[in-house]
Amino acid sequence: MTTLLYTHPACLEHDAGYGHPECAARLSAILDALKAAPFAALEWRDAPLASIDQLTRIHVPAHVERILSGIPKQGYYAIDGDTIVSPQSGEAALRAAGAVCAAVDAVLQDEAGTAFCAIRPPGHHAEPSQSMGFCLFGNAAIGAAHARMAHGLERVAVIDFDVHHGNGTQAAFERDPAYLYISTHQAYIYPGTGRRSERGVGNIVNVPLTAGSGSAELREAWREDIEPALQQFKPQLILISAGFDAHYLDPLAELNFSEDDYAWLTRRIVAVARKFGQGRVVSVLEGGYNLPALAASAAAHVSALMEDAAGG
Amino acid sequence: MYEFLQYQVRDAMTADPIVISPKAKLREVEELFETHDFNGVPVVDERWRLLGILTKFDVLKAFSLDPQAIAPRYDAIMEQVIETVMTRDPVSVSPKLPLSRLLQKLVEMRTKSLPVVENDRLVGIISREDVLKALRRATIKHETPAHEGSRP
Repeated sequence: MTTLLYTHPACLEHDAGYGHPECAARLSAILDALKAAPFAALEWRDAPLASIDQLTRIHVPAHVERILSGIPKQGYYAIDGDTIVSPQSGEAALRAAGAVCAAVDAVLQDEAGTAFCAIRPPGHHAEPSQSMGFCLFGNAAIGAAHARMAHGLERVAVIDFDVHHGNGTQAAFERDPAYLYISTHQAYIYPGTGRRSERGVGNIVNVPLTAGSGSAELREAWREDIEPALQQFKPQLILISAGFDAHYLDPLAELNFSEDDYAWLTRRIVAVARKFGQGRVVSVLEGGYNLPALAASAAAHVSALMEDAAGG
Repeated sequence: MYEFLQYQVRDAMTADPIVISPKAKLREVEELFETHDFNGVPVVDERWRLLGILTKFDVLKAFSLDPQAIAPRYDAIMEQVIETVMTRDPVSVSPKLPLSRLLQKLVEMRTKSLPVVENDRLVGIISREDVLKALRRATIKHETPAHEGSRP
């Protein structure tokens, strides 16, 4: 089966200001890495714009309206100290969410086994009525809701290995047992949520890791928490909130994952997807702020998505 | 050699040290750290009452990762007033404290300097370097006469 790559030039035009860590060069670094020979089999597709209906499955209409009408004609507008928009941010955000919905359509219509959405702005901090932490719309949550509402799936899981807790995805899912949200993240940093005791209706699994945790702790989290939750839930589709800021070179946190860890974790996730969901995995870029580490980690991740797709 | 035991804090401290107001901004104290070789700057009110001490550690802490922001807002943090990041109610010592006891306190607390307070007013600051200098002075004074005395 094919692996798809969804992206769009508009995602390079979202500009959060000089020196901002969530910059276009992040995406360029990933796309450059994915143009190399080992990725020749990747099928590149342009991300469509998300529809307002797709966004409002997760966000309140007033929030969508507020974000889109708040995009400045020129210069910058700071939604908060971290989250800054500029003239092209609206289209970028719509392409980001649209990429995930299109990828969900493609894998559920058997056009491909797996897909990676190389998009920005990221999404997992965006709550139903609040943008924050570099995020405007909850891309992964919107894709999961699309799978449920447009395709009638009954069990959709989102696995979030970004170093920050995905408070937005959790807030969107915590009352609906049709979704399972699993997050590994560094404890006590932004956004401060993600304690083990936050369990939703039994459908939220938070695995906070202490600063300095690396390969060993990731494997323990998989064995003790993540895999058992997936085995019990039996997801028909798995989405991944793929942030690569738990890498040991990342400046915004203190976990110590390596490229090999991302490849290992991706293979484990795909194996579960093959057991319950015909190998369907849609991965969505979140954070990652050291450019070489981000590019190498994303490449290792996509390579693992392609391996299993080709083999199976 | 035992002359060190005669010293008090006042004999070794830096008297009338450079101080800073609680309303000064972090950016200004950063300049002070660059110009002078301080570990920490005492923070005093207009009557020289000690309100706190701002150490390099406090400054580093102000820029560390915290749950309020995904990335530290470096420029905004530089504009913070130092009373929000200083160490409040710092341990202080009397100028009459024997220097041997001050040395003991520095070792136990692993701190680099302590403010010196008398009659509710800051009168000095004493650092590791001040104590090292006093130790050298005490031991040199001892050795010199012994050496000269041994000459024929």
